This record gives sequence, structure tokens and C-alpha cells, in this order.
Amino acid sequence: MPAQTIRVQYYALLREQAGRSDETLTTGARDARELYAELSQRYPFTLPAEMLRVAINAEFGEWSQPLKAGDAVVFIPPVAGG
Amino acid sequence: MNAFRFSTVPLDTASLQREMRDVTCGGFAAFEGWVRNHNEGLAVTRLEYEAFVELAEKEGARIVQEAIARFGVTRAGCVHRVGSLALSDVAVWVGVSAAHRDEAFRACRYIIDEVKHRVPIWKKEHYENGDSGWVNCERCAAPAAHEVEYSAPAAHEVEDAAPATRHREYSMAAAYLHEHPHEHEQGHQHHPAASPDYSRQIALREVGADGQARLRAASVLVVGAGGLGVPVLQYLAGAGVGRLGIVDADRLEPSNLHRQTWYALADCGREKSTLAAQRVRALNPEVRVEAHALRLDASNADRLAAGHDLILDCSDNFTTKFLLNDLALRTRKPVLFASVYQYEGQLQVVRGDDATACLRCVWPEATRDGLVGNCAEAGVLGPVPGVFGSLQALEALKLLLGLPGLDPGEMLIFDLVSLNTQRLRARRTPDCDAHRRAGRSAATASPIELEVQFGSLAEAQAAGFTFVDVRDSRERADDPLPSPALNLPMSKLLTDAATLDTGGRYLLICATGKRSAAAADLLRSQGFRECHSLRGGLKGLKASA
Repeated sequence: MPAQTIRVQYYALLREQAGRSDETLTTGARDARELYAELSQRYPFTLPAEMLRVAINAEFGEWSQPLKAGDAVVFIPPVAGG
Repeated sequence: MNAFRFSTVPLDTASLQREMRDVTCGGFAAFEGWVRNHNEGLAVTRLEYEAFVELAEKEGARIVQEAIARFGVTRAGCVHRVGSLALSDVAVWVGVSAAHRDEAFRACRYIIDEVKHRVPIWKKEHYENGDSGWVNCERCAAPAAHEVEYSAPAAHEVEDAAPATRHREYSMAAAYLHEHPHEHEQGHQHHPAASPDYSRQIALREVGADGQARLRAASVLVVGAGGLGVPVLQYLAGAGVGRLGIVDADRLEPSNLHRQTWYALADCGREKSTLAAQRVRALNPEVRVEAHALRLDASNADRLAAGHDLILDCSDNFTTKFLLNDLALRTRKPVLFASVYQYEGQLQVVRGDDATACLRCVWPEATRDGLVGNCAEAGVLGPVPGVFGSLQALEALKLLLGLPGLDPGEMLIFDLVSLNTQRLRARRTPDCDAHRRAGRSAATASPIELEVQFGSLAEAQAAGFTFVDVRDSRERADDPLPSPALNLPMSKLLTDAATLDTGGRYLLICATGKRSAAAADLLRSQGFRECHSLRGGLKGLKASA
């Protein structure tokens, strides 16, 4: 699988743990699950993928959804503060 | 008698009344304020009144003279107790005699309203639990009701019919006066508005008089009176939403105040639901507000939501959020969710229908509290819940006014550091547990079918229907329904429909099923989605028996 450029955004706890709110990166990950696993190597993420939702191009998607160049991927943990 | 005086001993109302006698008078009206055994959910055992006597007597006398001049009454007087009072003691007495009853009633009402509003009197309540507190300076509180209520027929309703709207708000003024004790010496220069003025929002083409009437007819339950709940309640009360329910089990803490800036440091330790209700009343006395100092749970959720058209989740925990999600699916009442985290937040609307996403469609896994952090654990900047609560209020008003907003299921994410927003579309998940559970409980009757047939009323009752008898009183007397039912005769259908719950499941019943079908159809058009008609009516039941 050739590497492709993808824009990633992080929210809430993930933003804190990644130390940034967004980045553009080149990855060989084929789907969102692989991408999250790859990022988990880089950042001290504590939440398992099952606890998160991923949105791809402004739509909540599946972890198995294939990624393509130029996709905007958002990782969102649930939040409950009020 | 002096027009206004204080008494340190129990009032002899018979002798006070004699002081009002005058042969030119054909009418006498009196008002008595009594010591009640409860206030703000606490059992009260006794009271103490204290007054700033010199100022209070002058002001009280001025009020009585104003009433005499304004209404042309012959005699008027008011006596207020100070010192220690027991339950049922007369705390304040107003008497007016006049040639005719109308001006006597009006002057009496004017005096008690103005006294409560303008005369500096402090009240210390002693509670059954041993606590006590200065809660009530009845001055500088709500706008005087007489400005807008001259046509009100009974003077008593201030104390009796509407204690919730006219009694409790004063403690806020008390707190204010405690903080600003010098102000009562300066008289009261401000002239409170007679009634709320919605002209600035009515001026919007999308609102207008119709929109304002819709807001007034609306009832919203706000779950959580904290960082999100405060702006929500402020704007909904300000906008004139007719009825607000407030659910919050917590007491105010100093750590809340950086984001819950409606409250005062002096309020710490008091129930937030009560404080919020007081603020709502002070902001807009037209709003009917109910405070529930408890935590929403599975056993009370339906009861709390009853009668409300829309629910706002301003809670800070997933347990409450998912309970409200289930409630939305069960009752088809929309729930607007907001959650914040540090510098960001999420906003989502769940319509509760089978076609659009719910909270569980988005978060299918068991999301647990404590895993991702709330305001206490993760920290939050004060304006962040302020922004999200304001957005929630905005979406709520738009929803009530029928304006476009967030799509069902859609999630708005707003990062207030980068100021980036995202709108993420969520789909109804085919294997959503919450939808499946709600579908099962609704399976007993189709919500679409207008007419339903049952072999007996017991059968209908077992299917979860509340009966509504639409026959007139004579028919009811001739052939009474064997089961408990709400009586809503056709002639009063639309005027009394407000007593129904938009989320309730009703079976409308008449003699033959014709009127009840028409009534159910009409009520559905008014937003009562689960109105059904008993096919064939009572005649049909008898035939099948």
C-alpha cells in the first residue's frame, strides 16, 4: 500500500495526549484502525479504539473504512463535562 | 391607626378590621400573610422578622397613601409583625375599606405587593433539621405584580395560588442585600419593569407574535443547573419559555463559580436547583419554574419529563446522558445534548425517532464515567460551557420556533482554542441497542394508527394507554367509564389540551368512536403524537362483550 497524505484532527483527551489538535501526515495505513494503531505508537494514547469514534470527511465512519489520499480524519472521544 | 406599623405581638385581626369600619363604605377587603411550614423544600418550624424600622415605616406609610390616592378608597392600613413567629401566625395584615368592592380589592393587592417589594424586612427561617438562615428580604425582588395584574380578581393568589412564583425569589434579593447592606438606606431609586418585554425578539421576522406564543406555550426540562444549565436557563427564561423544569441534585460549591457566574459566593452550600429557580423567577416572573433537587435516574426520568416538550441535557455524566437518550427514544421527545471538555465541546440533537441517530448510535460501546474526564478531573475554562450552553439555548429556541438547526443525529464539535468547528453526520446504526429496546416497548401499539381496536378497556390499559373521555358531562353521568380517565369534552378540547403531555399515550374515547377519531386527529396536529381513538367507541366495546 503506497503511503498517502491524510489530515488528522484530535479532540479532547486525544488532543492532550497528542499535544496538538491537528496535523497532516503521510501514512501507509489502509484504514482508520491501522491509522489509530500507528498513531498510538507515536503518542501516549490511553483510550482503546473501541471507546472512540472516527469521522472521515465530516461523517462518522467505520474503523474498517479504507482511507484515501486527502481524507480528513477526526478522532473523537466521548466527553461528558457540563 | 397609623397607615403602616410594626407589631411585636400577635395581631388581633378583629380589632384591626374594626379600625376600617366606616359608614360610607360598602366593601372591605383584607389580606393576611401567614407563616408557612415549608420553603424551598425545607420544613420550617418558626420565623423571625427584622425590619429597618424607621425607613420601613416611612415607606410603608407612603405605600398606603399611594393606594388611597390611586384607588380612591376610604381607609387603608397595613401591620407587619417583627420578632419571633410560630407556624400559621399572621405575619402581615392589610385591610382596605371603600365605597365599592372593586377598589377595595385592588388597593389591598397594591399594598401587599408594594410592601413585599419595597419595605426593608428580613426574614430568618428556622428549619426542622436545626438549620436556620436569613432568606427573605422581600424588597427589591420581583417587579410588583399589580402593574400587570390589575384585572386579577383575587388578592389571595399572591400567597396561595402561586406561592412558587411569588415567594421564593426574594431570598436572592436577601443575599444581595446582605452583600450591599448600605443600599437599603438610600431608598429605592430604580423602578422595576411591570412585565417582561420581548419586543427585541418579536421584531425578528422568524419570531413575531406567533413565535412568542409558541415559546410561551412551550415547556422545557433542563437537566443540570451547572456550567451548561446556567446559560440555558438564562436565555430560555429571558425568551419567555412558558415553563421550565430544573433537575440538579448538587449544592453550589466555590469551585463552580468561575463558570456558573449566575450564582453568588454567598449561595455556596445551597441547592443549585433552588438557586437557579430563584434566578429564573427574578429574571422573568412569567415563567413557571419547578426545581427538582434530585438526580435523574431510571425510576424518576419519565415522571420528571412528563409535560415537557423538549429536554436539554446539561449534565456532566454519561449515566444521565444515556438515560435521557433512552427517554428520547421511548417518548419521542427531542433531547439536546451538550458536553464540554477543557476548551471544546460537542452538541447533538436526538429526535427519538426510529430513522435518525441517537447517542447510542454514535457511542455504541459502554462509555463509562471516569474514563475521559469531566470538568472536575480535566479542568475547564469558564466560558467554554458558557458558549455551549448558549448554543444549546439557541438550538432549543430554534427547535421550538421551527427554525433550521442541527440535523437529527448530527454532532457539532467546536474547538475553542483553534476556533474550528466541525459538523459530523451520524447515521442511525442498524444494530443500535437503544433503538432496539425502545422499539420493543413501543411495539404494543403502532404510533401511526389513528384508530385502535380493543376487546375491553382493561386490554387497552394493559397496552399502556391513558384514557381520555371526550364525551360531555351529561353523557358521562349517564354512562360512566368503568376505568379512570381524563375528561376532555370536545367543547374544551383545544383549550384544555395543554393539560395533556405531548409524549403521553392517550386513547380517546366517545360513544361511537367518531368524535374521538376527530379529536385524536386534531390533537395530533397540535403535537400530541400518540393520540389514538378507540374504534367503535363504548358501543363497540359493548357489542364485542
